[in-house]
Amino acid sequence: MATHIVMDHSGDSRHRFDPRDADAVAEAERRFRQLTGAGFTAAVRTAAGESRRIDTFDPTAEETLFFPRLIGG
Amino acid sequence: MLALRRRARGASRLSALRELYRNFLCGDDPETRGLRLLREWLSPLQRDQFDTFGYFEVTGCHSGIRYRIHSGRSANIEQLDDTGRPHVGWCFVPSGYLVQGDIMLAQKIALETSERAALAIANRFPPSSTIAPRAHRRF
Repeated sequence: MATHIVMDHSGDSRHRFDPRDADAVAEAERRFRQLTGAGFTAAVRTAAGESRRIDTFDPTAEETLFFPRLIGG
Repeated sequence: MLALRRRARGASRLSALRELYRNFLCGDDPETRGLRLLREWLSPLQRDQFDTFGYFEVTGCHSGIRYRIHSGRSANIEQLDDTGRPHVGWCFVPSGYLVQGDIMLAQKIALETSERAALAIANRFPPSSTIAPRAHRRF
C-alpha cells in the first residue's frame, strides 16, 4: 500500500491506496495534482532522514508527504 | 521511612514516564501525531539531537550551511556559522494552522530540498535575539 500524508490542523490526514489498482492510482494522481496545484509541496523519503521534492506523481512512492505553501513568518 | 518515601517517589516517576511513553505510542491528539510524524522523517542523528536538546540540525541543499531548527512554531530557525554559533535567525512557516511537529518537518524538508526558495520568502532576524531554549516534550 502507498500513502499520501497531507499535513493539516489535525496533524495529518492519510490516504492509502493500492498501487496495483488502476482506479485507486488515478484517484491518488488527482489528489496529487489538486494539492500541488493549490501550492502544496510534495516530498518523498529517499533514505533514513533524507527526502526529495517531487513535482510529478509517483505511484511507486511508499509515502508522499504534502505540506502547505511556505510564507515568511 | 526515608527509604520508603524515596522508593515511592521513584515509582511515581517511573509511572509518569510510562504514561508519557504510552501517550506517545497510542496518543492520537494532533500535537502527538505531528511530533510522531516529525520523528519518523528525521535522520537517526537528528532524532537524537531532538530528543536530547529539543532542536535538530539540517544542512542547506544549496549552500551546505548548517541550520538549527528549534522546537517552536515561528522564528525558530538559526543559521550557524563555521564554529557552530548562531549567526542569523530565519522565520518561515507553512501557511494555515498546523501543529508544531508539522511546521518543523516542513522547515526541515524546505531547507534540505529547496533552501534558496525557502530563504527567499523567509524573514530574517538578528542573531542578537538568540532563541531561548523552549519547553520540549521528550519521549
